[in-house]
Amino acid sequence: MGTTWGKFNDELKNQAKIKGVPISGQFELTARCNNSCKMCYVCKPAFDSEARSKEHSAKEWIKLAEEARNAGTLYLLLTGGEVFLRQDFMEIYNELSMMGLRIGIYTNATMITPDIAKQLGRIPPSRVEVTLYGASPETYGKVSGNPYGFEHALHGVDLLLAEGITLDLRTTVIRDNTNDYDKIAELADERDIILKVVDYISPRRDCGTPLSDNMRLSPLEMVQYEKYAQENYIKRMKKLQGDKFSALDTIEDRSATNSNKYPFKCSAGRSEFWVTWDGKMTPCGLMEEPATLPFEEGFTAAWKGLKDACASIPVCYECRKCSLRYICFTCPARLKNETGFFDKPAPYLCEYAKEKKYSIQA
Amino acid sequence: MKIKGGFILRSIAGSWIVVPIGQRVVEFNGLMTLSDSGAFLWRSLERSAGMEELVASVLGEYDIDEATARLDVQEFVSAVGERGLLE
Repeated sequence: MGTTWGKFNDELKNQAKIKGVPISGQFELTARCNNSCKMCYVCKPAFDSEARSKEHSAKEWIKLAEEARNAGTLYLLLTGGEVFLRQDFMEIYNELSMMGLRIGIYTNATMITPDIAKQLGRIPPSRVEVTLYGASPETYGKVSGNPYGFEHALHGVDLLLAEGITLDLRTTVIRDNTNDYDKIAELADERDIILKVVDYISPRRDCGTPLSDNMRLSPLEMVQYEKYAQENYIKRMKKLQGDKFSALDTIEDRSATNSNKYPFKCSAGRSEFWVTWDGKMTPCGLMEEPATLPFEEGFTAAWKGLKDACASIPVCYECRKCSLRYICFTCPARLKNETGFFDKPAPYLCEYAKEKKYSIQA
Repeated sequence: MKIKGGFILRSIAGSWIVVPIGQRVVEFNGLMTLSDSGAFLWRSLERSAGMEELVASVLGEYDIDEATARLDVQEFVSAVGERGLLE
């Protein structure tokens, strides 16, 4: 019982990666959402009956979770779409919470009612992450198509916090909400919660709708945004924590080491998996392939098939040889979505790495 | 002595981890790691066991002397007790 949890957890995840144990996974319970965000890749309309008819039942998700737990899953994130659109979400959650899993929930929080918050408060998830798409009804509406979403989301956040639930705020940045960072950060500070920023928008994983480059930030804008957010974060943390705060903690390491033979830098397909709403197991949420079918073949066989398939994804040797690879966030999923190929450098990512280098040099 | 209900001892990637389940999460929203001998004692305490019984079971399982076994058991029981995990 002696070591610190952080160190132990790192070692546990490392061991899972070495041994191929699926320690961490995500269940995408639905593709339906009450928002229709411009940049989202899992956003069928809330009342899409066809999408609803293809969703797996609560019983099926619960059985799959049991199989995943038996295979070694410890961390399980429930996501969508918007999970609270499922009438049976609490049934799934309550069953899963008895399995010995650490459960997280991604939500936009707009559908959180006092009753749902209370139910979650009785068996709190390890964490809830709420994405806020703007700091005003106007911006939120512009991004998500739901002008009432801002007010509803904040109300949901406050209901969850009132139940003592651990909650992080996230924001996904596109051109429409770039200028809202400071105000979103203020909303997080007022509630004493962490704000996470997602500023890279991938083209849709199913390549269904081409991504407009006018919608996402340019590589230069991304670097500038990250710099601003980083400086702002350090300032806010120093104000909140004084001398106790170490800016070193905020530096993100995008240069995770990996073997030259394996295409992923991260743990996708080695100790992490994703199950899509329509029942495919993929390495991560950005990927459509490789995929196996856990509901048909069982979790263990699907996980083995996925690991094998991931190991044979072609490596982008140009990226591997690139001098900017340590500041680039290239990966097979992003390359495939950006270029259509796993092993072809993506101009958007290359440009980002160059701008990042200039920014660091400056 | 007995471990409270609402905890599951799991072996994951070569490590022993205690995970709270259901409403137990309200009072213990975290994870706990155990050594092999800790997991052995935990399992005994899940079934309920007294100090002497625990010492005897440790002596039966591990090649150590009684004084060391007793000390290990005492340390484990007090650590678990301090965390409020005993009935």
